[in-house]
Amino acid sequence: MDDLVRTSITRRRFLQLTAVTAVAAACNPTAVGSPSAPAGGSSPAAGSGGPAPSGAGSAPSGGGVTGTINVSYPDEAGLKPKYVEQAAAAVKAANSGADVKIDLQKVGDDDYYTKLLLALDSGTGPDVFHVGGSSIGELAEASYIEPLDEYVKNWPDWSQYPDAVKSGVTYKGSVWAIPYGLDMRWLYYRNDVLQKAGLPSDWQPANVQGILDAANAVKTAKEPNVLPYALYAGPAGSSGTADHAFVPLLWAYGGELQDSSGKWIGDSPATRKVLAYYQKAYDGLSPQEILTAVKPWTAMREKLGKGELALLFEGGWVYGGWASNDKAGTEQNVRYVLHPTETGGPSFTIGGPGTCWYISSRSANKQGAWEFIKAMNTAEIVGKLNAEDPHPVARKDAADIPEFKASKYNLDATAALEKAKFVPPDPGYSKVIEAIQKVTASVAAGELSPDDGAKRYTDDLSQALGADKVTSQS
Amino acid sequence: MTAVATREALAARADEGPPMRAKAKAGPVEWILVHLVFVVISAFFLVPFLWLLSAAFDAKANAYVGIPTHPTLDNFVKIFADYDFGRVLANSLFVAIATMILVVFTVALAGYSLSRIELRRKDWITYAVLLLQTMPISATMVPIYGLARQLGLRNSYLGLILIHAAIELPFLIWLMKGFFDSIPRHLEEAAWLDGRSRFRALVEIVLPLARPGLGIAAGLAFLSAWAEVLMVVILIDQDNLKTVPLAFYQAMRTQGGYTEVQYGVIAAMAIIYLLPVMLVFFTARRLMVSGLMNSTRGL
Amino acid sequence: MTASARRRAIGRNRLYLAGLSPAVFLLALFFVGPAVWALISSLTNRALVGIDAANPRFVGLDNYARLLSDPEFGRVILNSVIFVIGSAIIGQFVLGLLLALLLDYAQRRGFVASGVVYGSALLAWVNPTIIAGFLWVAMFDFYNGSLNAGLGVVGAGPVNWLGQGPMLAIIIANTWRGTAFTMLIFLGALRTIPTDIYEAARVDGASPFRRFWDHTLPLLRPIASLTLLSVTIATFGTFILIQTLTNGGPALQTEVIALYAYHEAFQNHAVGYGSTIAVVMLALNLAFAVVFLRWSRARA
Repeated sequence: MDDLVRTSITRRRFLQLTAVTAVAAACNPTAVGSPSAPAGGSSPAAGSGGPAPSGAGSAPSGGGVTGTINVSYPDEAGLKPKYVEQAAAAVKAANSGADVKIDLQKVGDDDYYTKLLLALDSGTGPDVFHVGGSSIGELAEASYIEPLDEYVKNWPDWSQYPDAVKSGVTYKGSVWAIPYGLDMRWLYYRNDVLQKAGLPSDWQPANVQGILDAANAVKTAKEPNVLPYALYAGPAGSSGTADHAFVPLLWAYGGELQDSSGKWIGDSPATRKVLAYYQKAYDGLSPQEILTAVKPWTAMREKLGKGELALLFEGGWVYGGWASNDKAGTEQNVRYVLHPTETGGPSFTIGGPGTCWYISSRSANKQGAWEFIKAMNTAEIVGKLNAEDPHPVARKDAADIPEFKASKYNLDATAALEKAKFVPPDPGYSKVIEAIQKVTASVAAGELSPDDGAKRYTDDLSQALGADKVTSQS
Repeated sequence: MTAVATREALAARADEGPPMRAKAKAGPVEWILVHLVFVVISAFFLVPFLWLLSAAFDAKANAYVGIPTHPTLDNFVKIFADYDFGRVLANSLFVAIATMILVVFTVALAGYSLSRIELRRKDWITYAVLLLQTMPISATMVPIYGLARQLGLRNSYLGLILIHAAIELPFLIWLMKGFFDSIPRHLEEAAWLDGRSRFRALVEIVLPLARPGLGIAAGLAFLSAWAEVLMVVILIDQDNLKTVPLAFYQAMRTQGGYTEVQYGVIAAMAIIYLLPVMLVFFTARRLMVSGLMNSTRGL
Repeated sequence: MTASARRRAIGRNRLYLAGLSPAVFLLALFFVGPAVWALISSLTNRALVGIDAANPRFVGLDNYARLLSDPEFGRVILNSVIFVIGSAIIGQFVLGLLLALLLDYAQRRGFVASGVVYGSALLAWVNPTIIAGFLWVAMFDFYNGSLNAGLGVVGAGPVNWLGQGPMLAIIIANTWRGTAFTMLIFLGALRTIPTDIYEAARVDGASPFRRFWDHTLPLLRPIASLTLLSVTIATFGTFILIQTLTNGGPALQTEVIALYAYHEAFQNHAVGYGSTIAVVMLALNLAFAVVFLRWSRARA
C-alpha cells in the first residue's frame, strides 16, 4: 500500500515534468527535436565535437567517474549478462561515486536496433549501447555516436587489437566502436543425416552446386521430419539474408558488392547466378516458412541442433548454442566447412567486426561510458565471453585465456578468419541489405525469375541509394 | 439523425434477445441440420479461445488445442517473475483510468457545448467530427511518432494518456451530443433562474440525466486505452513505462533464441490482457455493443 | 430576438466555445497535427539513421514521384484491395448477413442454442486485435497448429497456411474477428421486419428464397450499403493483425498500405518516404469517408 502511494506521487511529479517539457517543446519545436542536428554537418567527426567530451582525458583515470552510466544491450542467448554485471561491478568498485544501470533487452538485434534508433532520434537513449559493427557508418553520419580516438589513445590495451580489427571499426579516419569478438560464418551440416542420405562421412562440397546436390540427396532419402537445407531470404531473414546467404553466394560466383570506384553492383552475371541458386533452393529444398516466420533463424538453428535440418550456412557463434545443449552430440554430428566457390577454388568465409560497444554522442556521462566499455573489454572477459559465445577474439591477448584456448572449435574459427572476406564499411550497406531482402523474397516466392530479379535489384538499389551510386554489369 | 443513429438503435435491438415465439414444433431433421450448422460456426469462433485457455494453464503448451497435459499456474507466475508484469499492469491501469477520466471530462463538456451552442453551420461541425473518426490510426503511426518526438511526448505517461484520449474523442463527442440533445433545455434554464452557475447546472442537473452516455464514454475510453497497441509501440521504448499491450507485443515478437516458443507464457499474458475487456464488456454488454457498433474501429 | 437576448446568446456561446476547447485542442493536436506533420515530412528525406537523420533536406515532390514509379506500391495497393474485398465484403459482410439470417430464423423457430453462436461471434469481436492475431498464429502454426492437427486427424497433409496461402490466412483471421459487427446490424434490421409480411407471403405460397428476395432483401438494402462502407473503411486500416500473422510476407504477398508505410519509415528508416505513404493512405481514406458520410446524410 505504502508503495502504491509512493509510486503515484512520483508519477504525478513525472507528469508535471513531462507537461512542462511538452509546453516548452511546443513553443520551440526544433529545440527538443534535434539537439545536435546543426552540428552534424557533412563531417561527423567534426560535428560531434560540438558538446565537448565531458572530460575525456581531463578526468583522472580510475576513481574519478561519478553519476549514472546507462548501459543498454540486447541478448537472446543469455550468455552476456553475467559479464556485463561483472564489468558494472568493476566500474562501481573503482569509482565510488558511479552507478551503472543496466538495461538488458531480450529482443532480436533488429528489433533492438529499431528501438534504439527511435530513442536516439528522439534525443534520449542510453550512454553505452551494443549493436553490430556494420552500423558504424550510418550511425556516425547521423551523429548518434561519439568518436573514440581520444579515448583509445590513452588506453594501453588498444595495442592488443590487430590492425585489421582496428580498421574494421574505423570510418572516415576515426575509431567509433570497440569490438569484442569478430564475426565469421560456417557452412554447417549434419554428418549423421548426410550419411543416411548416402553421402560419405566428412563430406566436403566440391563447389557451390555441391551444396544443392547434398540437399537433394537428403530430400530424396525422405527421412521423416528432416529439412534438407535452409537458405535465408526476404526481410524475415534479417541481415542473415545478406550476410549468411546472398553475399557469400555472390562472392562464390565471382561477384562483388561494389566495383573499384565504390559503386554498388546491381545486375551482373554473378547476381543472376545467385538468384538462380535461390530459385533451385526454394524449389522444395529450403522451407517456405523462412519467408514468413518471425525470426526464422531461431527455428532453423534449433532444427540443425536436433538433426532436423541437414545444411545451414550460419554464424560461427551459433555453434555455442548447440554445444551447450548437447556437447557430445554436437561434436559428433555437427560438422563445419568453409563456403565453396563456383569452380572449386579456395573456400572462404565472410567476416565482420561483430557486435560492438558504442558511446552515444548525446551521453551526459561519456567518461563513465568509456570506463564501462574498458571494464567490459578486458582480456579476461573478452576471452571468457568468446569461449562461451564462440567468436574469434578481437584482442590478441584474450586468446591466451585458458577457457578460450581449451576448445578446438575456437581455434578453428580463429584460423578461418584468415580466409575471411569482409563487407565494405559503407553507410549505404543497410540499404543494400534491404534490396537484397526484397529480391531474394521475390525469387524465393516464385514471383520473379532470376533474370527479372537481377534487374529489379538494380532498380531497387538505384531507388534507395541514387542511380549515380549503382552500376550493372552484363 | 444520421444513419449511424439508426445503427445504434439496431444494435440495441439485436442485443435485446430473440422474440421467442416458437410456432409449430421443429421437425427432427430441421433440428439436427440447424444445430449442425451451429456447431460448425461456434467451433470456428470458439476453437481459438479454447486453445488459449488450454495453453495458458499447460506447462508444456503447444500450438494445438487440447486438454492441458501438465495443468499448472506456472505460466502466470512466470510472467510476474520474469516479465515484471506487476509494473506493467500498474502502468496499464494507470494509463487507462487516467485516459478514462480525461475523456469523460472532455466529452461531457464538448458534447454538452456542441448540443447547446448556436451556430449557423452547426451540422458542419458534427460532420467534421465524424470525418475525423474515420481516420485510421495505422495511417497516423509515422506522423504521430514524429509529432510526439518533437513535443517531447515519447516515453511519457502524459503522451500515452493524451493520445489515447484523442483516439476515441470524435465518436464520443458525437455520441454525447446526441444524449444532451435529448435532454430538454428548460431543465437547466430553470436551474440558472434559481441562481446556480452554468457549470453547477451542468453538473447537478444535466449530467445525471446523461449518465448512460457517460457510462458508454467511460467504458469505451477505458477499453480503447487498455487495448490499443499501435500508439504504445511507437511511443514507448523504456521498459519502466511498458503497458500490457506492449509487453504482449514484445513477448510475441521475441520468442526463440535457443528456446522453444513459449506459447503458455504468451497465452497467460493474453488472458490477463483480455480479462478487463471481457469484464467491462459483459457487465455492460448492451451499452458497449451499441457503443462499439458505431465506432468504426473496434478495439 | 431582442438585442439583449442576442447578447445573452452570444455570451452563452462564448461559454460553450470554452467548453469545446479541451476537445478541440486534443483533436487539433492528434488528428489535424499528424496530417499536417505527414504532409510536411513527405516533402523531406528525413531518416532515422545516416546522414539524412542529422540533416534532413527539403526534396519537394521527389517522394511522390518515387511512390508513383515504385512497382511495389502497385502491389501494395492491389493487396489492400484484395484484402478489403476478401475480408470485409465477402468475409465479414456476407458471412455476417448469413449469420444474422440464420440466427433470426433460429430465434423465430425457438432454437435456444442460437445464443451460443451469437455469444461466440461477439467474443471474437471484442477481443483486442493483437490477441486475435496471436490466436491465429497458433491456429495456422505449421508444425503444431490446431488447423494442421485437425487435418492430420482426417488424414490430410499439413498445409503451410502462412507460406502458401498467406492472403487467404489473413482474410480468414480478419473475418473471424469482424463478422459480429455486420451480424449485429443485420440482426437488428431483421427484427424490425414485421412478422405479418412473412405470414402474407407464406399464405401466397411463395418459396422461402422468394420470400427472402422479394420481402427481406429490399428492407435490408439501405442499411446494407452503409454497413458495407463502414466495414470497408475499418478494414482498410488493418495493421496489427497482418503484422502479427505475416508481417506483409512472404515477399510482398500480404503487404497492405498501412504496413508499407510503417516498414518504410521504421524498418527501412526512411521516415520521409513513410510519411508520403501515410499521406496517400489518409487521402484515400478521406475519399471513402466523404462518400460514406454524404451517403448517410442523404439517407437521414
